Amino acid sequence: MFKKFKAPLAAAVIGLMLVATGCGTAASTTAAGSGNSSAPKDGGTLNVALSSDAPKLDPAFSSSVYDRYVFQSLFDKLVDIDKDGKIVPMLADKWDISPDGLTYTFHLHQGVKFTDGTDFNADAVKFNFERDMDKASPRKGELGEVKSVTVVDPNTVKVELKEPFSPFLSILTDRAGMMVSPTAAQKEGADFANNPVGTGPFKFQGRVKGSTITLVKNSNYWQKGLPHLDSVVFKIITDANVAATNLKSGQVDITDWRFPTKEIQNFQKDSNFTIVNKPGQGYVGFYVNVTKPPFDNKYARQAIDVLVDRDALVNLIKNGAATPAHSPFSAGNLAYGDSDKAPKPDLAKAKELLAKGGISNGFSFTFKTGTSPDNQRMAEMLQNMLKPAGITMNIEKLEFGTMLDQTTKGDFQASALGWSGRPDPDQNIYDDVLTNGSMNYGKYTNPQVDQLMKAARKEQDSAKRKAIYDQAMTILNDELPYIYFYHENNVVGFSKHVQGFNYVSDGLIRTVGMWKN
Amino acid sequence: MKYLLRRLLLAIPVIILVTIMVFSLMHLIPGDPATVILGQEATPEAVLAMRHNLGLDKPIVIQYLTWLWGVLHGNLGRSLVDNTPVASLIFQRLAATLELTLGTFIVALLIAIPAGILSAARQGTWVDYISSGFALGGMSIPHFWLGMMFIVLFAVKLGWLPASGYVPFTQNPGANMAAMIMPMVATGLREAAVLMRMVRSSLLEVMDAEYIRTAYSKGLKERTVILKHALKNAFVPVLTSSGLMIAGLLGGLVITESIFSIPGYGKLIVDSIFTRDFVTVQGAILVSALLVVVVNLVVDLLYTVIDPRIKVGKGAGV
Repeated sequence: MFKKFKAPLAAAVIGLMLVATGCGTAASTTAAGSGNSSAPKDGGTLNVALSSDAPKLDPAFSSSVYDRYVFQSLFDKLVDIDKDGKIVPMLADKWDISPDGLTYTFHLHQGVKFTDGTDFNADAVKFNFERDMDKASPRKGELGEVKSVTVVDPNTVKVELKEPFSPFLSILTDRAGMMVSPTAAQKEGADFANNPVGTGPFKFQGRVKGSTITLVKNSNYWQKGLPHLDSVVFKIITDANVAATNLKSGQVDITDWRFPTKEIQNFQKDSNFTIVNKPGQGYVGFYVNVTKPPFDNKYARQAIDVLVDRDALVNLIKNGAATPAHSPFSAGNLAYGDSDKAPKPDLAKAKELLAKGGISNGFSFTFKTGTSPDNQRMAEMLQNMLKPAGITMNIEKLEFGTMLDQTTKGDFQASALGWSGRPDPDQNIYDDVLTNGSMNYGKYTNPQVDQLMKAARKEQDSAKRKAIYDQAMTILNDELPYIYFYHENNVVGFSKHVQGFNYVSDGLIRTVGMWKN
Repeated sequence: MKYLLRRLLLAIPVIILVTIMVFSLMHLIPGDPATVILGQEATPEAVLAMRHNLGLDKPIVIQYLTWLWGVLHGNLGRSLVDNTPVASLIFQRLAATLELTLGTFIVALLIAIPAGILSAARQGTWVDYISSGFALGGMSIPHFWLGMMFIVLFAVKLGWLPASGYVPFTQNPGANMAAMIMPMVATGLREAAVLMRMVRSSLLEVMDAEYIRTAYSKGLKERTVILKHALKNAFVPVLTSSGLMIAGLLGGLVITESIFSIPGYGKLIVDSIFTRDFVTVQGAILVSALLVVVVNLVVDLLYTVIDPRIKVGKGAGV
């Protein structure tokens, strides 16, 4: 029983990865990936440090980024993104989009088999779409625009959309496009996550929950000559510093995107290691509840916006491995641009805004945040940044599940929930600002923004889409239903033995072409 | 035998009470499994569907009774997060924690007993000051910090031991010991400090007793007096605190387990609380409550071995 009371203490010490949900972009240094000159070598085990366990190894029901790390080795997708952010063929060799943007026809690669020996074909694609559209699946929202999936012939699938939806292909580069074996899914039912079967370069061998996940080579992989490695072992190491130590001592070959930022310089000096430090796709900041005082007053939100010293947050919390943000779009995103330029701290302006809002004496509010050291440091810094304007910020530290529960229910004034980011702009903003959007926890509503959000996902032309997002951001940066602080970098550290690693903007590790020297 | 049976029967209400408390407390924590499993992107509709799939939409009493019914039939249920049988999760994790507990305990004994005896026998001398200083240090230095320092020294700088990489003993005893020695020593040092203080003070108490003076006056050597007469009598409180220590370690090693990435029992419970995996938490706590009952029983039985004057069973008031 008393173990229960130890939980908060343990949470404080080990609960580092809880900011998992928030990440972001920045422009930083370093090598683009390794991909050295030597010829690929077959064999060996790649040990990957994961900063949190992968809770559910089933793409249809996964909600964790750490699942996505493991999925990259287990499941192929219809399409993928490459290191330049371009959408490239994977299980679909090519695809046609009808001029009205409503019909996507995928031509599948022939002769692909799942690791249980069954065939990958058009029926499997249809099965997967339908499985992902189950009402308890977090994928349902992503595939909300799908009207029907039709098998044209064994190698051709036609997907009809309700409305033109330009993020569609980009969504298929992630979990919604991953193909699981229909036979295995039907046989295993709820147990599929414990025996996942895909067409990927590696097969699931076993796991010790909270400790390791072991994958072994799929020797019948459809891409000839791949993969090079015999096995991939994910080691769950929740403390980033411990992960770095393991990298140094050789127990780990590569870390996930949460390499400890304060160790970047040390490792960069050591020729045995490479550190990739690149803009991520997400953001860190806070939700404000626009239905409750004090943030039902726009000027209160604007005052916060001009008081936050984003450069200081980036430097002190992320040791420079992040960029100040003023939009959900980080460098590399098609909607990225001037809208992301953050204001510099300006006390006089804040006071002016407070006076305009009739709250010149300031106000107080409670900020809900996580328990990690980063969360805590950020909260304390914010507290001090707001104080000169007479704004009192109380900090309420919550364990992640509790914070998620309270935030999703709208039980907050300000809440530090961020977003891990997706390649398409739509996936980083639509549901956050749309009236009744699934992530619009602050209950913001603006018909004009709604209209722009809908228009942007229908628009097929990238330049025109960006213009629409710019227009929306002009409104949002004035009304501030969410206050963006920074885009966190993805920082991956790996040893010189690791070859063939290509950094992709989602920060995930694609093991298929990697090998060890 | 009769005594044993009675003790075990008495444990049943205790354990049922524990399960009821765990069950209700778990349901009091904000955030239900469906919310946590589905994460940020979940629509309210998906949360409802997930709650239904997991059986969380049923009344709480029904949920508890269903679970209890399963337990009585030897079925601890399945994890809400990924449907793994809870029994197999517990089995997987318990081995590592039992090993760590045992190792920690052995390290603690190896240090505490000699150090405790020496400092009691040489009370007020430099030997006593050094071991008391050690004890104070051991109790004040956080063992997670010590664990990290061990990793930096032995794994990174010297490269003698792996920083992590637990493998089951049955799979590879060598690799297992290599991975377990640092965590065992890191926590063992701390426990040794507590135990050493206990050995020292109870020994000092006994040393004042008349029978010790008698033993000395018979002309026995100090060594014989301490080891044969005093130590045995001083051992009862030490045994009690050892029992409590083992019981505490079984669930309290979570920080050590985290630092050394050992898939242990404490980590299972904490991780399951974070994911609101009620079924796993209940099963794990049930098993650890059982273990505590067993450890206490063993301690009680050991009293009779150490001190024949202590009787268990009829009229013994235990």
